[in-house]
Amino acid sequence: MSRVRYGSRAVNRLSRRRVLAIAATAGVGVSVAGVTGLSLAGETAAKDDGQPLVISLRDASKGTFDIFSGGSKTTLTDKKLAARLLKAVKR
Amino acid sequence: MSSHREAPEISKDPVADSSDLYAFVSPDDPDTVTIIANYVPMQLPASGPNFFEFGDDVLYEIHIDSNGDARPDLTYQFRFRTELRNNNTFLYNTGQIKSLDDPNWNRRQFYSVTKVDAHGKSTVLHSKLPCPPCNVGKISIPDYEKLASDAVKKLKTGEKVFAGQRADAFFVDLGSIFDLGTLRPFQDKHLVGKTLFNYAGKAVNALDKLNVHSIAIQVPLAAVRRGGKKAVRGRDPGAVIGIWTSASRRQVQVRQGDKKNADVEVGPQVQVSRLGNPLFNEVIVPMAQKDLWNSLSPAEDKRFAGFVEKPELASLLPVLYPGLFDNLAKLNKAKTPRADLVAILLTGIPDGLIKDFQNTTGATKADMLRLNTAVPPAKDPKAFGLLAGDLAGFPNGRRIEDDVVSISIRAIAGVTFALVDQTFKPDAAAGLVEQGLSIKNVSSKLLKKFPFLGTPFDGFDNP
Repeated sequence: MSRVRYGSRAVNRLSRRRVLAIAATAGVGVSVAGVTGLSLAGETAAKDDGQPLVISLRDASKGTFDIFSGGSKTTLTDKKLAARLLKAVKR
Repeated sequence: MSSHREAPEISKDPVADSSDLYAFVSPDDPDTVTIIANYVPMQLPASGPNFFEFGDDVLYEIHIDSNGDARPDLTYQFRFRTELRNNNTFLYNTGQIKSLDDPNWNRRQFYSVTKVDAHGKSTVLHSKLPCPPCNVGKISIPDYEKLASDAVKKLKTGEKVFAGQRADAFFVDLGSIFDLGTLRPFQDKHLVGKTLFNYAGKAVNALDKLNVHSIAIQVPLAAVRRGGKKAVRGRDPGAVIGIWTSASRRQVQVRQGDKKNADVEVGPQVQVSRLGNPLFNEVIVPMAQKDLWNSLSPAEDKRFAGFVEKPELASLLPVLYPGLFDNLAKLNKAKTPRADLVAILLTGIPDGLIKDFQNTTGATKADMLRLNTAVPPAKDPKAFGLLAGDLAGFPNGRRIEDDVVSISIRAIAGVTFALVDQTFKPDAAAGLVEQGLSIKNVSSKLLKKFPFLGTPFDGFDNP
């Protein structure tokens, strides 16, 4: 258990049942606007090339995405991508 | 119960549900501490064809705080992996299981042990250790004790480990306690019970003949104490450690239906279960916050301190047992914060309250099982632990045979408040109340050596 993990209160408060995820394979062509990497001691940061990652559109109006890959979560902002995804699912 | 199904969400996720945590200086090796974390509670022994097991998708951890900041200085992580030998049978075993690598045993589970230090550096101590099978029955497993004994492994780094099914040794009369706080020995004194009974009842151990899955580790004391000291005095702050267990799951899971192997589990681990002191989340924390509590670190527990200072159960006792807890009722009415319970559950007991004893970890309020490692194992353990003058018992750590339910009820009833306020006179009932059970009400006998918990009840004889 790392101290880093215990500092991640916002993540811990998330109910796993509330995470709405959009599954995708690696290779999303967007620029990272903000990164809040999260790692866990003991969760080896192995190369994830070819491994699935999951993107969650946390706030559609701001275009805030959480990207889950391996044992980490990265946050980025991309309003255009958010809009395209919403259009794709007819929302 | 201690922590079986203690919160709404985790009660639906038994594989990750911690039920009991024990920590005591090992009677079979007093230079070590034994820590046992139980998961997957309330297992019916006859559970074929799919017997119980740990979750391959759950990260199980045992944490040790040695400097009182309620953050782990040492963590042991346990990860499990299930292997199927034969894809063409519906059976757990296709013949008798006589060894841990018996080809007749179809569905086996293995685990790794990883040590994480205070700086977050992790070291895999062993990548593949065997769990014993579940105790299917004496036809399938003629010598279960041998298999379980073979599954006790000593690591090169000095720790001894075991992970697998055990008989649940926790004893509690769940049926009566959660039926409006009734204690069967006092049912005729209960507000409603006295209209139904004119005699004292006999308590029933609701968990008897049920199994759990245990993760047990025995660690040299020098490895868990602050500064790595091999010997300490009881008054030395470095003698005290705080212990808790947690279970976590990946933040995201995507199920692919028929493409099972394509299921995705990614993201940081999210804690879904936690256990330090028995009954803390179960009895102290309001239902609406229990799952939140499970997700947090002990370092966050000051936000729950108010529930310890004014426990709901203390206000219920005088109502449920009219006339027996009048002094407690006055204490409640005065709204005096329960400094005794704060010490027992959140900070440890400071030096000076109990002769020749302390297990404080300082000012940080955190629910941890606190153990003064300088106290040797008792030659004649008392079920009421510290309340009976046995310094090696709960709430100094927790031994398997400690009657933590009765100790906790007595403490909440006011027995321990006199330690912090000598003008307070506990009610006579507070010193007498008990659930009416002991370790003798557990049908599987404890072992005299690690991992101490008894042989799991088998499915053949316990259908």
